Amino acid sequence: MALALVASLAWAGEGDAPGDGTPRKRNPGEYGPFFEAEAPSDSVHGEALQRGEKPVLSVGNGAFCFVDGSWCRASLLISAGVAAGMRIPASNAGPDVPYAQFSVHGGFVVRPLMYAGRTWHPWGLGVVGSWSRGTGSVTARGTSEDTQVRETTRTDATRIALHNQIWLSKKAHGFHLDLSAGVVRSAVLDSGRSLWGTHAEIGVGIGGWATLFAGGDFLDRDARVMLGMRAHGIGAGPLIALALAGMAIGGAL
Amino acid sequence: MIASALTLLTLGLAPDVQRPRGLEPSAPSDVVAPTEPTRSPDEPADATTEPADASTDASTDATAGDPPTPTDPDPAAVSEPAAESSPAESGETFRVVAGNGDGAPPYYTKADLDAVRRRHGLSPEPAPDPRKVRWRCLIADPLCGFTIEVQALGAFAPRFRQGDVRERSARRWSSGRAQYDVWVNLPVLTEARGRTRYTRMTLGPKAGAIFSDTGDTWGNLGIVGRYWLGRGRFAPAIEFTSALAFKIAHRRTDELAGSQPRYEMQRGPVGITADVGLSIGGYAALVFGGQYDSPLAREDVPERFRTQASGMLFVGLRGNILWGGPAATAVMAHGLTQRFGQAPR
Repeated sequence: MALALVASLAWAGEGDAPGDGTPRKRNPGEYGPFFEAEAPSDSVHGEALQRGEKPVLSVGNGAFCFVDGSWCRASLLISAGVAAGMRIPASNAGPDVPYAQFSVHGGFVVRPLMYAGRTWHPWGLGVVGSWSRGTGSVTARGTSEDTQVRETTRTDATRIALHNQIWLSKKAHGFHLDLSAGVVRSAVLDSGRSLWGTHAEIGVGIGGWATLFAGGDFLDRDARVMLGMRAHGIGAGPLIALALAGMAIGGAL
Repeated sequence: MIASALTLLTLGLAPDVQRPRGLEPSAPSDVVAPTEPTRSPDEPADATTEPADASTDASTDATAGDPPTPTDPDPAAVSEPAAESSPAESGETFRVVAGNGDGAPPYYTKADLDAVRRRHGLSPEPAPDPRKVRWRCLIADPLCGFTIEVQALGAFAPRFRQGDVRERSARRWSSGRAQYDVWVNLPVLTEARGRTRYTRMTLGPKAGAIFSDTGDTWGNLGIVGRYWLGRGRFAPAIEFTSALAFKIAHRRTDELAGSQPRYEMQRGPVGITADVGLSIGGYAALVFGGQYDSPLAREDVPERFRTQASGMLFVGLRGNILWGGPAATAVMAHGLTQRFGQAPR
């Protein structure tokens, strides 16, 4: 939040239109390599996913977007992904073991200062939730002569988090930093009980299409840290459908 | 009153200073601005005027290729720019009816532009407008910049797993591999022809899932690159990927198609997979690659949770799912491998 406030202050102040005949900038007070549009004389790609200035799959000229974009004032987030990392229980609860998960992720994000009158602003704020199914736990308790080893086959987790975005570019599919902090509810080791813990994540998004993220779930005596990537449902949906079709043909469903 | 007197006294005692002419808001000039030559529209064709002074001579010589030589500034020439009126003040327009004839800029007419195109090895006529891209860049094309793709792979895959470490042996069996990935392609190398920008190389992240026999399922997270070898719709391209591959699930059964096989989560250390392929456009590619799964063999991990080193090689067809071929290949490879493939016991 503090970072967002600093960013908003940095963009304060409106400049005057240049007097040398160059086109007036859309946000005259903004300067920097990320925010400068390409020169009109530059070569351009013949085709693009997005035509013109209207964000792709949006209504109201960016008032609401089904694929998040740099010029969207409100966006729906829906994606699916995979991640891998480590499961780190308390030192006397069991060994560190590899952890992997697949997840679905959704939410809603708005750009408050773009509602407040600014044409463009890098800060976005929203709420996200996710559900994941991960690999199970391994616990080992007792003495070296009498060790009780137990495992669980899977670990489900549900998360709700506050989502902050800092867009680094005005390009339609530009990069943005995503910071999420919230809570997670998941079974702890082999207790069979679901507890509330802390969830935190930092990611780098590419437009609304994909996000590379590093995150962690921190519960009582059971922590999981992971690195992963999720893709928008437009890409992930067909992928999941194909995988399910292959599993069905293979008799696995 | 006293203050005004002091000000006048100060101005009167101030030394004479030559002020820059540009700082004088409306300084009258003693030099009369030259008038532009007038020419009737049907006057024959020498659009250039004879050089009028030494400075024009110097610039012409420099254009012709001679090294520039320092010249003494002519006081009259120095004072002229300030005295010349702006184009808005002259208000005179004229129409160019012929080229300048000496091949130097400015270029006005088609003959001039043809000469410039010949000099730079370009064809006499400008290239036609670039072709249109089908599928709105959902199938990669050199005319596209940023793209998103869903790729599917169906492949034959010889697999192996470490056997008894005392004998340095490995178990080998034939299997299949299906892989579904989302690619994000960011243009990192482009080339321009006219106003059109073509993508030469893309790099970006990718993620997806890999399936093989016995329900073995891996997630993968890595990077993909594509280098275009042409600019056409079906231009060949070299694709290369590398990714972390991590076990997610397994179908625990000793006899496939037997009784009650269970598909459940399974952990495994992070391994690596990589491949290289030759593609036709963004449509399909012949791919060769390999995968290695690291063992989980630490002493503090109970023995029944340890895994062996394993891996596979694979050769197959990969491509964009939108036109159907690669998707069908991958789904069939996936289904048949899971139904009939079997790991050695």
